[in-house]
Amino acid sequence: MFEFIFKYPSPVFIKGRFVFLSAWPVWLLVALASLLTAALAWLTYRKLSTVAPKLQGWRIWVLWAMQSAFMALILLLLWQPAMTVAALTPRQNIIAVVIDTSRSMAIQDSDGKTRESAALNILESGLVSDIQKRFQVRFYRLGSSVTQIDGPQGLQPQDPATNINVGLKKLAEDTTDLPIGAVLLLSDGSQNSIEMGESGIALDTLQALHNRRLPVHTIGFGRLQVNHDVELENVSMAPSTVINSRISAAVSFMQHGFAGQTAKITVHDGEKTLASREIKFAPDGSLQTESLFFSAGTAGARDLQFVISPLSEEENLKNNAIAQPILVNDKKRRVLYVEGEPRWEFKFIRRAEEDDPTTQLVSMLRTSENKIYRQGLKDPGELADGFPTRPEDLFEYSGIIIGSVNADYFSPIQQELIRQYVDRRGGGVLFLGGRMSLSDGGWGVSSISELLPTFLPSGRNSFHRNPATVELTTAGAESSITRLLDDPARNLERWKKLTYLADYQETGSPKPGALVLAQMDVGRRKLPLLVTQSYGHGRTAILATGGTWRWQMSEALGDPSHDLFWQQLVRWLIADSPAAVSASASSHRLMDDGKIQLSAQVRDTQFQPSINSQVTAHILGPQGVNSFVDLSPSQDTPGQYTVGWNAEKPGGYLVEITATDGASKKESGRDTLTFRREDEVAENFHTEQNRQFLQELSAQTGGRYWEPNVVKDIPRDISYSEAGISVRTTNPLWDMPLVFLLLLSLLSAEWLLRRRWGIL
Amino acid sequence: MKLSRIATASVIAAVGCAGLRAYQRVGDFGFGNDDSPSNIKAEFYWSRLAFSSNLQGLSSFGDYGYWRRNAWSRDYPKADRQFLIAMHRLTRIDGRPTEQVVNLDSDEIFNYPWIYAVQVQMWSFTDKEAKRLREYLLKGGFLMVDDFHGTEDWENFMNGMRQVLPDYPIEDLQNGDEIFHTLYDVDDKMQIPGEHWVRTRRTYEKDGYQPKWRAIRDSKGRIVVAICHNMHLGDAWEWADDPDYPEVFASMAFRVGLDYIIYDMTH
Repeated sequence: MFEFIFKYPSPVFIKGRFVFLSAWPVWLLVALASLLTAALAWLTYRKLSTVAPKLQGWRIWVLWAMQSAFMALILLLLWQPAMTVAALTPRQNIIAVVIDTSRSMAIQDSDGKTRESAALNILESGLVSDIQKRFQVRFYRLGSSVTQIDGPQGLQPQDPATNINVGLKKLAEDTTDLPIGAVLLLSDGSQNSIEMGESGIALDTLQALHNRRLPVHTIGFGRLQVNHDVELENVSMAPSTVINSRISAAVSFMQHGFAGQTAKITVHDGEKTLASREIKFAPDGSLQTESLFFSAGTAGARDLQFVISPLSEEENLKNNAIAQPILVNDKKRRVLYVEGEPRWEFKFIRRAEEDDPTTQLVSMLRTSENKIYRQGLKDPGELADGFPTRPEDLFEYSGIIIGSVNADYFSPIQQELIRQYVDRRGGGVLFLGGRMSLSDGGWGVSSISELLPTFLPSGRNSFHRNPATVELTTAGAESSITRLLDDPARNLERWKKLTYLADYQETGSPKPGALVLAQMDVGRRKLPLLVTQSYGHGRTAILATGGTWRWQMSEALGDPSHDLFWQQLVRWLIADSPAAVSASASSHRLMDDGKIQLSAQVRDTQFQPSINSQVTAHILGPQGVNSFVDLSPSQDTPGQYTVGWNAEKPGGYLVEITATDGASKKESGRDTLTFRREDEVAENFHTEQNRQFLQELSAQTGGRYWEPNVVKDIPRDISYSEAGISVRTTNPLWDMPLVFLLLLSLLSAEWLLRRRWGIL
Repeated sequence: MKLSRIATASVIAAVGCAGLRAYQRVGDFGFGNDDSPSNIKAEFYWSRLAFSSNLQGLSSFGDYGYWRRNAWSRDYPKADRQFLIAMHRLTRIDGRPTEQVVNLDSDEIFNYPWIYAVQVQMWSFTDKEAKRLREYLLKGGFLMVDDFHGTEDWENFMNGMRQVLPDYPIEDLQNGDEIFHTLYDVDDKMQIPGEHWVRTRRTYEKDGYQPKWRAIRDSKGRIVVAICHNMHLGDAWEWADDPDYPEVFASMAFRVGLDYIIYDMTH
């Protein structure tokens, strides 16, 4: 029908470009059309009272509009409109027919047949032969990659993984010397050889297809929606943590058919249940994310199992669980605390940190003018000469706390060292309130005032030994530092009910980019209490009080608020402080594909990138896997070492990366990570057809998405492509039946209206 | 008319509730809220524990008008103030120059993580007081006891201590213990006598011939009660300016006291 009215098939109009074949300029067409319609309007207006005095105003203007449209259309035809479109040259081009052979294609949801059978049936019942009348055809099978095959006969959906992105990119790159005119992809759109929760089109794939101007036509198979199912989509959680820390995991899931019902999300470590929470399902098809909090427990690499309890009538129970690897390490990280006077805050911070097995507080306290009392030392010589003056001595600490100490206690060299500690080394510095802190300690006019997250007030009377109550800000309500209770609402209330601080200090206004997590009520005013900011590679914070110790002494015995807050604050301070060796992996969950990229950032004692290190990864895996792999220095990033490795067996892997200095042959440091390969699991997820992905893929590449039952136009539509060997054809539009119909309709309608209104 | 009364009553009730809520947040402001010129605020308050006596049977311990008759007030306040003078000269502690008397009647004691008690052979606690002192010590408070002598005093002291911390053993402190090395290295300790030494030249009282440097630790091994038995550091502080009282005793008493305070403020 479309072709009958418009003379040409729809791709001519979708892919073509509208042009005028006449040599006359287009502006002349616009000018003439405007002139004629204006002249007609003037004539109509002049003659209205004499020719048709009884005709109502709007009716005459309707007739004028129809006459104007008629004349404009005639003028348009004089300029010879046409569509130019690129089309493949017959018999000189190849159409790549790509058939998804992943296991999800074996699902029987296509009129009782498997998706694979339905796809092969379409190909064999005329589609291939129709294409072959005009083009050559090459067949490819698609799993985790793409492979050329002789024909579709006997194909079985056995590939454990699908990666359409990788397959199409490989196809585009491998066939650069072939005149591929278009790609015809038969698939359910499921991609599972990538991180769970990611299913979009990869940019590099699109780039490869765009470079070849290859349109991808897709035919989608499979049900669009499961009637009754709950599916875990993703678990977002830190890949490593420290012992006994509170872990927050964001669990994303989607369901159909159970809206408003409740279920239980549980996280297990082997037989042990770490946390459980009842949730209520959102409307069907909407992605829902809920948080689970649990303790990391003891040190070690483990696989946590996140499960949504199965519901009755659920069609697929295999997508209710996800295993997520996590590495819990027991490395003690050392924090340097400099305090200028004995005070209670120092005592109670020390006590809180003594209960944190992951932190070692090394402190230097000025007890008298000439005495420093040191605690938490690794050897008697540590800090014997006071605050460090060399980068290698200071940079070994993961964090620094500066208490009630005047800024001029630190020499200019030491102040610069503190600045570099944050900026270059990436460490964290926490400034506490006190009578020799912040403004009162001269920090506002010091050379490192830029480190502070607030503009300190001028003057030296900012510290007050007066009570102040505390409350969280919006940012604080979401921060892990201030989470005393897992439930956000109860946490806010808990903070409001905390006993008052023994003292407070004015901090001035926060700098742009700084975050106020908690504030103090000091009567008529509210002042920032806890302010954080990023600076260079590190971070700084102000806690504008020396009186949180009352949270320990005046809350009930056993109340964990004080210690928990301090442990969380110090952990935040040091969490992102890099070690000399920082290991990372391209992915922590490999789905059916073992390829992984291991990386390590290696720094010397002054935290400069180390370019002459020997870096080795020791990999322990399932079934006795025990490999040593050398990492090569990156050409792009100094201090970065990488290696690609293939985890051939499914299971959990533990990697320890060790760096040795090339000159001194001393070990620079080591770091560990864990990852997991899972086979035949991903195919249980996203089992419905991913039509959105297929449609987007086609739309982005200039192809079209086809329903399996309407594919007869594919051989014709597929020929409109700029890839391969193509020619651009010009298609005049003046003789389209539509034009004739329009002209006729305008004249007829005018005549009929005139007759009806009595002005013939 | 009736409606207007209801409305008036509602407004009064609402204002009352709002006021009560506001009071609940700030009503317990006690510590640090006195801004009068006579009140000097500081980080450290020398806090002397006032307690009821098990022997004297005089007026209630809260009746400070009779403080001279009460056991807890021995050497008060001169010893306290002389010690504070020394503390100001020898440390960077921001301490108030005058003492603070605390008792176990209220939770105010939790604002003072250091308390000093003398004549503890005479103390006695109600269950509520014992519970409050136990919680104080387990939360992080520190108690130094002084000026009790001999076997009988020890037993009386222990009667109260068992009420407070029944499951915590008492140990003898060694020279190498950290509490004797926080500000000064106090290795060669001696028996520190009270003012009676000036008249009697005896360093002991009753049958307390040997000084006992003892302590109770919490579950993490931190000293929470420092016990100076068979000695009288308070007198040494009080009579440090008496030309007849030996400097060596006074110096030792100051050094020990400062070590204890620094230990408390760092552990």
